Amino acid sequence: MFPTTPLNLWSAIPIWEQLWLFSPMIALVVTMLAIVACPLFIGRNTRVTMAVASIGVLAAFLLTWQVAQRVATGGVSGLSPGNTTGILIADNLSAWFQILLMTFLGGVMLLWWLGSASEERNAPEFLILLLGSAVGMILMTSTTNLLMIIVAIETASLPSYAIVGFDKRDRFAAEASLKYMIFGAISAAIMLYGASLLYGLVGSLGAADIARYTIDHIADPQNRLILGLGMLCFLAGIAFKISAVPFHFWCPDAFEGAKIEVTMWLSVASKAAGLLLLTRLVLTFCNAVSQPAEMALLSPLAWTIGIMAAITCTVGNFSAYKQQSVKRLLAYSSIAHAGYMLMAAAVFIHPSASDSRSALSALLAYVLIYLFMNLGAFSVAAMVIWETGSDKIDSFTGLFRRAPWLAVPMVFCLVSLIGVPPFAGFIGKWWVLVALGNLSTPLGWILVIVAVVNTLISVYYYMRLIVQMAFKDDASRPPLSVSIPGTGLVYISAIALLVLFVWANPLKKTTDRFSENLYRPTPSAQQVTGSVASFDAGNR
Amino acid sequence: MGQHVLSWLVFLPAIGAILCLLVPKRHVRLIAVAATLLTLLLSLTLFTTFLGGGNDASAHTIFGSRYGTLHHVERVPWITGQNFTIEYYLGIDGLGFPLVILTTFVSFLACLASWNFEHWHINKGIRAYFVLFLLLEAGMLGVFVSLDFFLFYIFWEVMLLPMYFLIGVWGGARKEYAAIKFFLFTLGGSILMLVALVAMYFYSGDAVRSAMATAKKGGVTVTTGVTAQGVNSGYRIDAKPLTGGTFDLIELATNSVIQKHFASNATLFLGWKFAPLMFIFLFIGFAIKLPCVPFHTWLPDAHVEAPTPISMILAGVLLKMGGYGFLRMCYPIFPTAAEDWAYLLAVIGVVSILYGALCAMAQTDFKKLVAYSSVSHMGYVLLGIAVLTPAGFQGAMFQMIAHGISSPMCFFLVGVIYDRAHHREINRFGGLWLTMPKYGTMATIGFFASLGLPGLCGFIGEMWVLLGTFDAGKRFPWAYPMAILAAFGVILTAGYILWLIRRVYLGHEKHEYEGYKDASKRETFILVPFATLCIVMGLFPMQTVFNFTNGTLDLVLEHVVKAIALLG
Repeated sequence: MFPTTPLNLWSAIPIWEQLWLFSPMIALVVTMLAIVACPLFIGRNTRVTMAVASIGVLAAFLLTWQVAQRVATGGVSGLSPGNTTGILIADNLSAWFQILLMTFLGGVMLLWWLGSASEERNAPEFLILLLGSAVGMILMTSTTNLLMIIVAIETASLPSYAIVGFDKRDRFAAEASLKYMIFGAISAAIMLYGASLLYGLVGSLGAADIARYTIDHIADPQNRLILGLGMLCFLAGIAFKISAVPFHFWCPDAFEGAKIEVTMWLSVASKAAGLLLLTRLVLTFCNAVSQPAEMALLSPLAWTIGIMAAITCTVGNFSAYKQQSVKRLLAYSSIAHAGYMLMAAAVFIHPSASDSRSALSALLAYVLIYLFMNLGAFSVAAMVIWETGSDKIDSFTGLFRRAPWLAVPMVFCLVSLIGVPPFAGFIGKWWVLVALGNLSTPLGWILVIVAVVNTLISVYYYMRLIVQMAFKDDASRPPLSVSIPGTGLVYISAIALLVLFVWANPLKKTTDRFSENLYRPTPSAQQVTGSVASFDAGNR
Repeated sequence: MGQHVLSWLVFLPAIGAILCLLVPKRHVRLIAVAATLLTLLLSLTLFTTFLGGGNDASAHTIFGSRYGTLHHVERVPWITGQNFTIEYYLGIDGLGFPLVILTTFVSFLACLASWNFEHWHINKGIRAYFVLFLLLEAGMLGVFVSLDFFLFYIFWEVMLLPMYFLIGVWGGARKEYAAIKFFLFTLGGSILMLVALVAMYFYSGDAVRSAMATAKKGGVTVTTGVTAQGVNSGYRIDAKPLTGGTFDLIELATNSVIQKHFASNATLFLGWKFAPLMFIFLFIGFAIKLPCVPFHTWLPDAHVEAPTPISMILAGVLLKMGGYGFLRMCYPIFPTAAEDWAYLLAVIGVVSILYGALCAMAQTDFKKLVAYSSVSHMGYVLLGIAVLTPAGFQGAMFQMIAHGISSPMCFFLVGVIYDRAHHREINRFGGLWLTMPKYGTMATIGFFASLGLPGLCGFIGEMWVLLGTFDAGKRFPWAYPMAILAAFGVILTAGYILWLIRRVYLGHEKHEYEGYKDASKRETFILVPFATLCIVMGLFPMQTVFNFTNGTLDLVLEHVVKAIALLG
């Protein structure tokens, strides 16, 4: 089945300009190598290793910014995934994700530095694994090639298994890691099986080809079975990554066993990557449609994702109800939020529809807001856990007295997670609702109602934490001493939530801009908006 | 300040809250009182607009009917997207005006009522208390002046959290339960409102776009103002035609294209008729706030557990948002549904009146009795609105204001005696009038006003509602029995209040309460304005309320009735 035509190696070698677009990833890889090299010259020094890693991440962040500027301002203004089967893509979507990921990576590293670095002997290993999974996540959002997707998911997952069980002496961490790995391995196998089915039928690994083939041949019952099975299997792999129900069982255990900064990393970054990957595939399908009538053929796929979203946020919210561990509670809350974001991914709209970008724009905004909400909430939780040594809700008792400057921003984050104004969480949810309403189909309105009812369900467990902080008190508990940089991180997140609410319009404008050019140009406006920024190693 | 008077009004308390965060702890009270006083004074300047008949008929003739003139309009786009505009849109008319004054008035007095904070049984966190208090006031004022549904919703939710903490931290024995119950009920209602918010936006967009498409094709457009470029309902001040969905509450109510689409039986939401379903969504949201049976169960808990000033705010202002929501949204935007459901709403109103009164009669807790009397009184508001007559609407509005004066006063009266006796058992009290003559006199005025004694404010509202209900008999035959049943409520009210006065204030002086100090200067200063208003509003209903509200109310009703005739 492999290509018989000889590869033109020269054309496969990327020109400098193209390589530049992937510089953030390269910077991260170089940083990883530098971290490896460090101990050779100066011995195992956590401080130096951390400095190297920070510089590397900062460099990667600046490079990302640069790439994003170029991609968004039309230097290489995106590309239409519908028209290419490129192995790697650099466009608005991946640029947006990379900016967020780098910001978040910075936050995670800061927390790790404050919390665990001092007693950590294996700092270089940890940082390498962390950066390695970041590279994997970036790859996940930069491709539509099935094989590449699988490689990317594995690149993101393998280091994750290791950092979950990084503390070798901790039994729970080891158990969590094993559980996570077994689930990961199984879902990877299922995903590969799905990919092989699709490749066997379509003869291509490009998602665009598969999408086109699906639309053309879905009517044929035989094809329908294999296509459906293949896509479902492939979807399962992605569902594992975003811990969508019913592939979420690994999530709370892994999150509870791991250190809190690792929990934060996995619950937010890896979910965001999975969601944007799914979004990209949805976009590919939308773009493959050449006339609005064909959109109806994709409705089973939209319903599958929509139902998965509805179940995910419902199960997430109900499971969070009885949790005693704050880590688990936040883990289930992040499952619920993955559900809300999945809803936005279920919005399949024909590229020529008047408001086709609203769902995408909503998703991009939601991911950003989700990041700040969790950064704040997890940081507060981390500091409380370090001080009290327990991750039970009980350790939050009387936080308003014991650490008022931590409790107030925590309330901001939790209320934002509920989705109540005046915090950005509401804006994120609102745009998702608008995107769903904009669909004007039963699926859309059902999801609106599910989302809204789920918000109500979620109130209880977030409020339980607030109640514990504000109303329960035990005079015997001493005030907490908190680190200034950690508090700074919390305040940045909390204030960001307020600012993003008031300045929702600039945010909207930004996400609108970043969601441009991702849809295939409509036939009426058939001028290509920019060069296709991908390099195609020839996958046929 | 001139043209941004409403913005100043909303954000003055918020500025006060920020100041409270900055000044030393001992000045916090002073700053808070100053902020509420300034807000009150600023709101009083609005009288200049309304004294000259500012609530009267306007030049806008829309949809065959008129809508009240809006004053002090501020309109700035806030969040814009592809055919998507959320505006910072403030304005005030005869619906919002009296409620704004009520809010600033009650807030100021409630703030004064918080002056003895250090004597409370939970006297920690004075700074947080006043910050939350002022934020609450900002949210309440925002609700009454915002005309963009989205903005309205934001302010509606902004109130939620301060109130939750005010009850939950500084409340009584079962404060946590009461606070979370309040939170869940209110959020449950507002979430239905959120669905309606999204749905109304998209359905109005559908209506406008299809009208534009018809006009483009050169089709016959029955409605004036529809062109291929947009729909001009003649209402918008900038006269820019509408090209898509809107959150503008007045536009939603008056744009005939949107109204026709909403009311059409062919407009379905998930298989249900659009207008009745949305009406119910909004209705439940507001009915929880009002509250009427069966959505009232949060109220006794919240009122009883909340500290006195917060009970005053709850009873005086928060409950009015339900009634305001009916008048601003449910009725003008879904007139046909309002007519369809009228009997149901009237029944709920009457049940609230009777059930609330019976519950109040059974209470032995002083505060709980006052709380249930609120349920009963707000039942009149719902009944008055449901029957769709001028007297009913006017009576409902008057009842809201009157209750907004009398019930905070009653709660404060309970608070005064609770501060001294530290219990609220009605049956343990007795002879308080002899012990505390000044307080006793004030209490009599307050409770008689609540009873609805002619000459005091409670009477006018109930009377107008009953008149309105009888008046509706021509239109709805079921209105007669409703009016008769509601009239029984008056008797029940008299029953529990007279019984209460007998048990608490009359009779022999009790040993237990000997030597209790009479109302202090501060307490008298709070009670006198309330008592004065109780009497003045009872004697001069036209000059105090009706002159300001009737113009707009009649226009809203005229609009609703005409819309029913046209669309029904």
